Amino acid sequence: MPLQAITLVILALPAAGSAALGLGALKVPRRLVQVVGPGTVWVAFLCSLVLFMDQFANGGKPHDFTYWTWLSSGALQVPVDLFVDRLSVFMCLVVTGVGGLIVTYSNGYMEHETDGSYARFFCYMDLFITSMLLLVLAGNLVLLIVGWAGVGLSSYLLIGFFYWRWSAVVAARKAFVMNVIGDVGMILGTFVLFAAYHSVTYRGIFAALPRTDSPLLELAAFLFLVGAVAKSAQLPLHTWLPDAMEGPTPVSALIHAATMVTAGVYLVGRLHPVYDLAWAAHGAVALIGAVTALFAASIAIVQTDIKRVLAYSTMSQIGYMFLAVGVGAYAAGFFHLMAHAFFKALLFLGAGNVIHAMNDEQDMRRYGGLWGQMRGTSICFLVGSLSLAGIIPFVGFWSKEVVLGDAFSKPDPSGFPQAMWAIGFATAVLTGFYTGRMWWMAFAGRPSPERPVSRPHEAQAVMMVPVVVLAVLSTVGGFLQINAGFHPGWKLIEDWLTPTFGPLPWQARDLEYFPTAATLLLAGLAFWPIADAFYRRRVWSVWSERLPFLQRLLERKYYLDELYDLLFVRPMDAAAESGDHLLEAPVIDAAPTGVAMTARGSAGILSLAENGLFRTYVLVMLGAALVGLVILLVVRG
Amino acid sequence: MPDYGQITIGGGTLSAAWFLGLAAILFTLGAIGVLVRRNPLIILICIELMLNAVNLTLITFARQLQDLDGQLFALMTMTVAAAEAVAGLAILVDISRLREVEDVDELNELKG
Repeated sequence: MPLQAITLVILALPAAGSAALGLGALKVPRRLVQVVGPGTVWVAFLCSLVLFMDQFANGGKPHDFTYWTWLSSGALQVPVDLFVDRLSVFMCLVVTGVGGLIVTYSNGYMEHETDGSYARFFCYMDLFITSMLLLVLAGNLVLLIVGWAGVGLSSYLLIGFFYWRWSAVVAARKAFVMNVIGDVGMILGTFVLFAAYHSVTYRGIFAALPRTDSPLLELAAFLFLVGAVAKSAQLPLHTWLPDAMEGPTPVSALIHAATMVTAGVYLVGRLHPVYDLAWAAHGAVALIGAVTALFAASIAIVQTDIKRVLAYSTMSQIGYMFLAVGVGAYAAGFFHLMAHAFFKALLFLGAGNVIHAMNDEQDMRRYGGLWGQMRGTSICFLVGSLSLAGIIPFVGFWSKEVVLGDAFSKPDPSGFPQAMWAIGFATAVLTGFYTGRMWWMAFAGRPSPERPVSRPHEAQAVMMVPVVVLAVLSTVGGFLQINAGFHPGWKLIEDWLTPTFGPLPWQARDLEYFPTAATLLLAGLAFWPIADAFYRRRVWSVWSERLPFLQRLLERKYYLDELYDLLFVRPMDAAAESGDHLLEAPVIDAAPTGVAMTARGSAGILSLAENGLFRTYVLVMLGAALVGLVILLVVRG
Repeated sequence: MPDYGQITIGGGTLSAAWFLGLAAILFTLGAIGVLVRRNPLIILICIELMLNAVNLTLITFARQLQDLDGQLFALMTMTVAAAEAVAGLAILVDISRLREVEDVDELNELKG
């Protein structure tokens, strides 16, 4: 099969699976759902492997497969084309690989749902995979926006999966609104690029880019940044992500950790020629990422819901990726993307095992002592935690070190990358701390007296296998790229992505020995003795009593939800309310009501003539004939 | 009595006014019957009466004006009358299957 067809199959298969499950939602037998749901994703994964082989063999020469013309209107030419290069193949592998594991896992996790809900769940999951693949494979901005909106839609559907729960519905709505703000940014950005360069395809735009920065380019880059920030839950459009934990846990793993939220990173990477020129927007990417990383990590310290801790850590880790692509270390950012996909999917699925065993209890204060009873899950979760905290030799260590090392060693007279590094460094320490807290609270120690299940059962095989696979990946994944302070190292990820991004424009210096060692040490200290002391030995309660203000500030997430409520939601509500009183009832409603009343009144008068009595009709007829006759005679005479 | 001319009939002649007068009386009888009677069958018969009164008028004038159009139109009227009787009776039979109909005033469900 030619490559062009295989590329289309990658998209078409999950789409067909989703359509089949959706159209026959209630009738499809459960067995078939279990095969079709994950099966289509796995076949797409195999097809991605074929593309991988091709990219491997031809040295990274990109393909631009054009299938047909979608829109053709004057200068606006929108083809349906898929762009296959090293970056999109990389993303395809992550999306279908991690996605396949998570969809397989869902077979077990969703077992208690009714048949209809079960098929609906896999329909949405496949829809999401399709949209995400379209997003990463699209060869022009219009198609990208289609995929972009598609992941927003499936995210909405999956967050609101338990639609009988009001909080889930509200969370879904919130995510959708926040994402639409980003979509608007994307569409406006596309308009600007089209107005300036008369093309919407990547190739056309990149070929027409000027050599120097221009205000128009900055504008476009900032507009795309709005889209990236909304999708990737960065400040200030982040509030939807923690609420999105209302969805089933595999959804949190797939969408809100491993794939969709990294779309912003992908966007910046894909449009890197634009960002390389637009220095202000590029700097903003790094700044937003760094600030979000620190901000989210600080909130994660006080959260008690295990999924919310993971949600804030996701925001924080994506902040690292933004930091990396923002300073121009694209390969480092995407290495961290892959690493994060591994260990965050692992953490979420591990948490899913626990939640499943605990009858859907998510409060970590009510866990404790799981180490002895769910040993397999505990070991895997520990691997994920250590990886998240950045402990050697797990994958998170290597990727985080590349991000921080590249940022630290970037030569810049303003010292901006070094400032970013400092924020990232502080975040790494906090990450070690809150990850340790999560671990010690949930798994170590004695079982909490409030625990809903005293003898939890270990997860079944279909759930355990993906977790173990992800744990192995999180353990060995880091050896794909060992260059943080180890010479000679090898850089498979960076080499793989070089045809897309070009080589790193500066030499990552040996000086990174120091930050590496320091981060490792401090994060490790934070993970084990400090977090252990604070949480297991209950030092924390003493401290939080001493600093009630700080505790409250973090618990309320810096009051940003309340601020948005005050700034946007309430004025909107008030405006809608007064519009209802002042405009809706007296003006807009009055017009059609008046017309209707007039019609009804006149019809009532006319209907008096139709009284149903035969005699009346005949009389009227004869009378009319008589009158006509008289008139005729008078006129004639 | 206004002069509408003479009509040859049998061996003698007769004033056309007699025929027209008879037609007018028959028509009026029919119209009054339609208006005042309640029985649907009687009403149908009265309609036939009116139609035939009209026919008489048509033929009278045809004879008088030596023009066959009037006679043709009378044939036409008879055809229509036959069709109307068929349709009317069919409707009546249908209604009477549903219920007893003695008074057309009871058939007033279609009022506005």
